[in-house]
Amino acid sequence: MADWRPKLISAVVYRDPKAALKFLEAAFGFELFMLLEDAEGNLVHSEMRFGDAAVMVGYEWSDEYKSPASIGGKVTQSIHIGVDADVDAHCERARAAGMEILAEPETQFYGDRTYRCRDPEGHIWTVSQNVEAVSREAAEAASGLKITGWI
Amino acid sequence: MTSRVYVALRVKATPERAFAVFTQEIGAWWRPSRLFQTTPRAPGVLAFEPGEGGRFTETLEGGKVFEIGRVMAWEPPDRLVFSWRQATFPVDLHTEVEVRFEAVGEETRVSVEHRGFDQTPADSAARHGFPDHALLARLAEFWQTQLRSVGGAVA
Repeated sequence: MADWRPKLISAVVYRDPKAALKFLEAAFGFELFMLLEDAEGNLVHSEMRFGDAAVMVGYEWSDEYKSPASIGGKVTQSIHIGVDADVDAHCERARAAGMEILAEPETQFYGDRTYRCRDPEGHIWTVSQNVEAVSREAAEAASGLKITGWI
Repeated sequence: MTSRVYVALRVKATPERAFAVFTQEIGAWWRPSRLFQTTPRAPGVLAFEPGEGGRFTETLEGGKVFEIGRVMAWEPPDRLVFSWRQATFPVDLHTEVEVRFEAVGEETRVSVEHRGFDQTPADSAARHGFPDHALLARLAEFWQTQLRSVGGAVA
């Protein structure tokens, strides 16, 4: 870990954020980078890192910030993780740690192999690895979509 | 229970090297902070006496030695624990710092956990009037700065 901080960091809210820190380490290999706890042992703030990205793992600190577990399992955002190799092994590690696999690893028309999972409090995570180069034309033909911004 | 501030950084060195630099070269890599100043005087040179019970000192200009704390655990290359007391702390307040060195591939993950800093009284000069959460966040930044400096020193 070098001397850096990503310019975009997602803060993920949990009812039990300390359990989430352990879970995300076990499931995804996220690494705890910073943790503040008050005198009662409550998590105040935390950051985990993964490659050159980071997430903050927080608690329900105001009425506006809720874990999916507190609002009927709904999410309004999900976090996407990119891996360089062996997304299938990544999925097995997540499953072994207790992630519910919502979609098994599958190669998509755009050339990424992806899976989708849900953690114990209901946050949904997607994980992908690029496995083949697909041209815009091929992706449009395969999907029937008009695609802008294809690299 | 006690408050905890935990920060970690990977450095490009073995745990042995990181432990040695942390303990033996602290006089060179330490970055004094006005917020967490050990004494009200100009910053001096920090040093550890090796081994459990060893003193953790700051030698000030003019030769006066201030004892910041004592080594409570000296377990190279894995772990170091020392007490931490700033000159402005109340006499009965001692906080504790645990440093761990864990190999991760070819790097070492150095983590610092500073426990008990919230016990600084509300009117203490060591607190600068900060409420707990702000104080702990500042303390985390302070240790991140130290870890970055360690990272530079081992390279």
